[in-house]
Amino acid sequence: MAPARRDISNRIADELSECGIGLVASLPDDWVADLIKVVEADDRFIHVPVNREESAVGLCSGTFFSKTYSAAVMGASGMLTCIYAITKISYTYEIPMFFLVSMRGAIGDTAKYQVSNGIYFLDVLDTIDLPYKIIESSDQLLEIPRVHRHSRVYSRPSAIILSREVLQGEA
Amino acid sequence: MMQLRDAFEYMVSRWTDQLVVTSAGHSSGTWWDLTHDRDRVFYLTASMSLSSMFASGIAVGNPGVNVWAMSGDGAFVMNPGMLFVERRMNLPNLTHFLISNRCYGSTEEVDISFSDHADYAALARAAGIERSYDFQELDDFRDRFDEAVLAQGHSFVVLNVDRVGKDVRTATMDGPEVKFRFGRHVEDITGQQIFNVLP
Repeated sequence: MAPARRDISNRIADELSECGIGLVASLPDDWVADLIKVVEADDRFIHVPVNREESAVGLCSGTFFSKTYSAAVMGASGMLTCIYAITKISYTYEIPMFFLVSMRGAIGDTAKYQVSNGIYFLDVLDTIDLPYKIIESSDQLLEIPRVHRHSRVYSRPSAIILSREVLQGEA
Repeated sequence: MMQLRDAFEYMVSRWTDQLVVTSAGHSSGTWWDLTHDRDRVFYLTASMSLSSMFASGIAVGNPGVNVWAMSGDGAFVMNPGMLFVERRMNLPNLTHFLISNRCYGSTEEVDISFSDHADYAALARAAGIERSYDFQELDDFRDRFDEAVLAQGHSFVVLNVDRVGKDVRTATMDGPEVKFRFGRHVEDITGQQIFNVLP
């Protein structure tokens, strides 16, 4: 594991903990895989690997009815599979939740199979009025608590979108 | 084979302080029709399989409160992998009821074409959920209710019921009202603040 990448994963975990987040649901994308390993090993969090990303929406929405703040970690393609769950649960009932998502398919992604998702990913979030911040530099990780808090104010989901360079410890 | 209404009437008679999450279709409508409860029930309509995950989130955050989750078999076949997550969480305060009527109850009872060959309780056991029950008859459900439902520990309970044969309307509340009434009730019973609190 490259030290810089692990350092970023640790910093993200610290920011999540700083938010008071105690439960992390995840489904791996290879850019967030190291973060998931860090969360799994960190006893500040209940880590729940889910079978599909929509399950994370159900689970994290349920935690709203408790003092347990939660986050869902996944790739952009995974978040695209959640649109119905978001509009159905989060929007119908106005329940906040918080996503941490890798910005797959963007410039810099060498995986051709991610491109078709990346083309439309941000447009889809814009279309459903889901607020997000794109994190392209590690010094922007301080935005995590603000974006998390906004989901509670907005009573709907919000998202942090992480670039490859940040997640790889290169920016 | 049981009638859904009979099974639910019995459950309601044994219902004390559990929080209930209903699913789309007849579970939501029948529970509402029997109870007209607006506080202890989250009527999660049309989530397409997410009611047990939603209930798991409630249960994990409220370890002192028992939660009953209901799924229809139409929802269940969309996402049987939920069982793996449930097993991983193994929440001692969660009971997951699968209402199996072998049709899509909320959409004119169109057949579920896979149901003739499916054994949902066996699926749960194969996922590692040891306390998995399958009830065909109401008397058997009543006789083993304490063991299957009230005993502490995660359990998965299949209720095989006949089709309802008619439209059953769910609670007459908009989403935010469901959220607030249910959330206020959770606040009351747990003493924790859910609304108007920011991290």
